[in-house]
Amino acid sequence: MQRILAICWLTWKAALRFRLFLVIAALLIVAVVGLPLVIKDDGTAQGFTQIILTYTLSSITALLGFSTIWLSCGTLARDIEECQIQVLATKPIARWQIWLGKWLGIALLNAALLAISGACVYGLLMWRASQLPPKVQQVLRDEILVARGSATPPTEASDIETMTDDSLKKNLQNHPVENPKDVVEMRRQIREQVKASLQVVPPEYWKSWNVDLSSVKGSLKDKPLRLRIKFNTPMVGATTTFKVGWTIGQTETPGWQSDLMDLSADTYHEFPIPANLLDSKGFLTINAYNPNNLPLLFPLEDGMEVLYPEGGFGMNFARALGIIFCWLALMSAMGLMAASFLTFPVAAFFSMALMVVVLSSGTLAESVSNGTVAGGNEETGVMGHASADIILLPIFKGLLVVTSLVKNFSPVDALSSGRTITWGQLGLAFGQIVLLVGGFFAVIGMILFHRRELATAQGNQ
Amino acid sequence: MPATDLISPAPAPSAGTQTGEVVVSVRGLTKVFKDFWNRPKARAVDRVDFEVRRGEVFGLLGPNGSGKSTTVKLLLGLLNPTKGHIEVFGHSPRHVQTKSRIGYLPEESYLYRYLNSRETLDFFGNIFQLSKSERNSRSEQLLEMVGLGRTQTRAVGEFSKGMQRRIGLAQALINDPDLVILDEPTAGLDPIGCREVKDLIVALARRGKTVILSSHLLSDVEDVCDRVVIYYGGKIQAMGTLKELLAKPDTLRITTPVLPRETLEKVLEIIRRDVTTGEVRVDNPSQNLESYFLDVVQKARAAQETSGAQSGAQVAAYLRGGVAEPPASEKLLEKLSLPQAAARPAPVAAPAPAIDESKLSALTQPVPAPVAPDPAKTAEIKPVDLAKADEKLSSLLGGKK
Repeated sequence: MQRILAICWLTWKAALRFRLFLVIAALLIVAVVGLPLVIKDDGTAQGFTQIILTYTLSSITALLGFSTIWLSCGTLARDIEECQIQVLATKPIARWQIWLGKWLGIALLNAALLAISGACVYGLLMWRASQLPPKVQQVLRDEILVARGSATPPTEASDIETMTDDSLKKNLQNHPVENPKDVVEMRRQIREQVKASLQVVPPEYWKSWNVDLSSVKGSLKDKPLRLRIKFNTPMVGATTTFKVGWTIGQTETPGWQSDLMDLSADTYHEFPIPANLLDSKGFLTINAYNPNNLPLLFPLEDGMEVLYPEGGFGMNFARALGIIFCWLALMSAMGLMAASFLTFPVAAFFSMALMVVVLSSGTLAESVSNGTVAGGNEETGVMGHASADIILLPIFKGLLVVTSLVKNFSPVDALSSGRTITWGQLGLAFGQIVLLVGGFFAVIGMILFHRRELATAQGNQ
Repeated sequence: MPATDLISPAPAPSAGTQTGEVVVSVRGLTKVFKDFWNRPKARAVDRVDFEVRRGEVFGLLGPNGSGKSTTVKLLLGLLNPTKGHIEVFGHSPRHVQTKSRIGYLPEESYLYRYLNSRETLDFFGNIFQLSKSERNSRSEQLLEMVGLGRTQTRAVGEFSKGMQRRIGLAQALINDPDLVILDEPTAGLDPIGCREVKDLIVALARRGKTVILSSHLLSDVEDVCDRVVIYYGGKIQAMGTLKELLAKPDTLRITTPVLPRETLEKVLEIIRRDVTTGEVRVDNPSQNLESYFLDVVQKARAAQETSGAQSGAQVAAYLRGGVAEPPASEKLLEKLSLPQAAARPAPVAAPAPAIDESKLSALTQPVPAPVAPDPAKTAEIKPVDLAKADEKLSSLLGGKK
């Protein structure tokens, strides 16, 4: 351990002596303090706070991400290019210890920078909040500066698949189709219809959702809840509002009933609902009434959500920073892995390219869901190129599995919407991002570094 | 006669050289550098075999690009051999624990530029898992020894090349290594520094340490090495002790104090009975330039110390290589070197072409050497200083003998 810590100390020394630490810390503080002065918001305290959180944390992540890749590639590749490694590697230290010591040094450096910039963001938010009128402060504390648990209705995914298959079967019996590609397309359309039927609230109709809160029933006594909803309409780009009525409990004997609300489509809305409306099993029944002459469509994924208070903002904020730290730790492993076998500029370029792959996972997902990497020929109906698809689609699927392990966490979104980031989520992030994916890069990097001849460089100090 | 022949062999090396433990064993070592497509680019080392035993000072000699440094890097596990077998202390060069017995000075200062000299030694001490007190103690002594005691807080990147070599040497000795591998150790050093390094090598060998010295400077190798290999084109062209390689068994040299002309003529007369005139040469032995230079500097320094005009000289000395005031280290090295100097008569210059009578006349007149040290005085202090030197070096390098 003494050897690993010595390398870790060396990495810190380099960052301090080359003033990298000071420069990045200064940039982070400028970003945190300066951004709120230039960004535009919707004029509400909630909107402003959300934007501050989103922009500052995103810019911290981006800035630290780039500096981490730069530093991790540089710390190893430059040691090799400038030949210092030739002295170090002749001492009784295993190469994996050198690698790990450097990773630990960068990780601790990131932790320090993240703590400094995070403390600035937190302090700024608290100070701005304290300048607001008490009522607005309360709203902020209810909606954003809080850690709220979330419960949603069941997605009915298995129902959708069953209903889709049944419907497809009937259709094929009535109208046989020979081409398998046409069958696939037919199933896709039927599935969309089935899904829409579960989401839609036709004009003059009610729709009910049952949200299971039984696991937290005891802690919700006398605590008001909040309903977060979003709906779409067939009217694309509608600027008008739509009326929606809400009741909680059975429609015949509601525990609470709202007035008709004027709500815009395609936007999240959040409003309070009184405490103690759960039934004896801990379920909350939510009913929406559509008095408009257009159907309203509440998306299964994020159309309906019940939020309940669970903890304070401070610890939630710290856990969010914890997840960002996990990302940074992964980036440093990635950079070190690249530097284990490449020169500094090439390693930096390679790492950036890997980052682009992670960030463009949406495109990969689209290709996988379309079943082809290339667009189809509209005239002939031929989709993609078979040979490219055979090679690339499995690769894309593999990449998606890996990137989903990393990207399935959204600490900034959670914070800006006041949702709880649980210790479990943080632990999962650490396990998936640092141990699993980061560990993979670490093992590859250590093997490559162990096998590398370290005296091929002639030194260019 | 080469100076090395005249060094009193230390007990450990002389015994160890012939029969001691094999520290480094190289058999059929070949290194071929390849390009990106794995095509052979250069055969840097070609079927090399040698062994280095405990207590030996072993020289790798050869012109630039002959394969010396490549061999050193192969011995250290920094390069992988294409063919052949290397054992260091009976293990692979990549064996981590074996490295705790090795000290390495590379051909350039490959140290961290942003660390100062004390931090550098502390860092490497940490890698050897030395305790804090041990690190402090060794760093202090090593910095004094290499003459950097007063520049401990300056970043290594700001050092002159000579100072960088000195701190490089100090880091190579932080662990009191059993095997010291020095690649061009005197490159960039002034003559005093060169001498100090060479004296240190001899002192290390006297303590039973094994030294592998790679150099293209013939005087370095000649002054300190017990055995050498001469490389050319990646192959060993010659190998053996310096005596074996350099001795001329069919000639003889007799050195005496200045003789009266009559005596000299009598001696020559006797010799001429068996040897033809052209084969007999008589000349004054002279020092080599290095010895002469060191004597001059030593005397000048002594004069300055007594005159008390020190401040200006300190700056000049510092700029020359970090020896602002002749530090304790230098005294140590001087002490270490004195027994050698005492036991080692000044090297003799190349003989004059032939005898000529007028020259013979001149030679028979005693000519006092202008700055040569008093041999009697030097001889007098020999036993005391040898003991002190051993004791000091022993404490400096971990108390082992």
